[in-house]
Amino acid sequence: MSGQGKGIWDKLENIPREVLYGILLVVFVIPMLFPLGLPVPISANVRKWYATIDALPPGSVVMMDFGYSGGGEPELGPMAVAVYNHLFKKEGIKVISMSTSIEGPQLWDKAIAEIRPEQSYGAQYGVDYINIGYIAGTETAMAAVGKDLRATTSTDYKGNPLSQYPIMDGIVDATSFDLLIVYTTGGDQSEGWVRQWYTVYGTPYLCSVLAMMIPTMLPYQNAGQIVAVTSGAMAGQMELLVNVPARGIKSADVITLTHLLCVVYVAIGNIAYFAKKAQGGK
Amino acid sequence: MSSTLKKTIPVAIVAVVALLVMMDYFIVTPPVNEAGKSWTSTTVRDLQNWGIILTAFSLGFGAVNLFYFHSKHISRRTPDQWMFSLWLLIVIVIFTVVGVFYGPTSTSYSWIYNASYFALSATVYSSLGFYMTSGLYRALRFKNTESGIFLVVGLIALLRNAPAIAVYFPVLIPWESFISDVLTTSAQRGIMIGGALGAISLGIRTMTGRETGFLGRLTEEEKGGGAP
Repeated sequence: MSGQGKGIWDKLENIPREVLYGILLVVFVIPMLFPLGLPVPISANVRKWYATIDALPPGSVVMMDFGYSGGGEPELGPMAVAVYNHLFKKEGIKVISMSTSIEGPQLWDKAIAEIRPEQSYGAQYGVDYINIGYIAGTETAMAAVGKDLRATTSTDYKGNPLSQYPIMDGIVDATSFDLLIVYTTGGDQSEGWVRQWYTVYGTPYLCSVLAMMIPTMLPYQNAGQIVAVTSGAMAGQMELLVNVPARGIKSADVITLTHLLCVVYVAIGNIAYFAKKAQGGK
Repeated sequence: MSSTLKKTIPVAIVAVVALLVMMDYFIVTPPVNEAGKSWTSTTVRDLQNWGIILTAFSLGFGAVNLFYFHSKHISRRTPDQWMFSLWLLIVIVIFTVVGVFYGPTSTSYSWIYNASYFALSATVYSSLGFYMTSGLYRALRFKNTESGIFLVVGLIALLRNAPAIAVYFPVLIPWESFISDVLTTSAQRGIMIGGALGAISLGIRTMTGRETGFLGRLTEEEKGGGAP
């Protein structure tokens, strides 16, 4: 065995992180600048989400929780925008949003600025959609809104009385809602809604979380407590179904290429490890 | 202060409130008011709203506490700390002033949020991707049976979650579904049920005064005698 050969396997087994990061950055930036249009299959859970919203009859009322923080916005924001687009495209659906995350109102504003409901769909604030703002207390807030929304908050996120908005007519408690949609970066929120709304009122519940939270939410989905769990990384699939391509579909190329790069890194690491071992190294 | 004030009364309040909330959750009592709500329902509604108010108050209290804590660092010129404390207080003041005078839904507030906190927090979270990539490269090595299983499962999950790869290798979909729906879910259920049993046990101990951590520091005598 040559000393040079051993050196090569040694180097491949311990590639400096600067090199790993540099290649990752290049693989990340190229598809962002020049989208490759790689195929995006629609997963069963995204289809179930879409079908659940599509089956809502006119006049249905949806509660939406913007329960994510700024750090999770790049992942969950595109999903929230795609789903909002779907809801606005449907006739006569009312969407009432709240936030169990303190940053929620700002992130809701960001999503609405992207959708532009007035210009794109002729939807009106206070008639077709509204935001009742951040309600402190996480699970206590969910329980309180479910029990008596008007007793919990009497104003929207701008501080205007809820009584002045037609969308709030007849909205009393959780039984006034036909569907619950939650985007969240927190386990307290995603699991709390199961305990405080699904278990008590049986409200159908769609949940979108960070990809790494999926395993913790699957037991609820498999038990039928959540209709479907998706990760924000599936936003591209939702955008394809809703036919409003945006940030999500762009990131699908990035996800494919970066995952492939990770597989290549793992393969290099293992080949180097075994080659070194075969040469008698440790 | 007597043990009654420090322990007995707080524990009694916790026990009564917990029992009321549980009654409302599990027992259907006859409607008593015109809205068809029972007395437990209306009482618990009020308790929940108190909880929300207290949580909101604690946010403000936390900000005051931050001021107190970091002001001490600034006044003492704590090395490698005081300038960060000063910066933190400046940022709090800017956000508070803009929020109070222009409103938290104003364009000014949104601008400083989007230009500072949002951009930074998204960047910090996104940078995890780099650490994870480096971690994968170093951790997924076939060194023994356990790490071999870890490697195979990791590769299946990686490839399945790459959208385009799943199109060309559809066999990955049922494999990953089996790992998620059967292996992961069953393990996760065990963890969740264990955690829930622990929470029930903690709740009972708290209601009966055996768990006093939430009361702050108590002497052994105040805790209930000092005997194990």
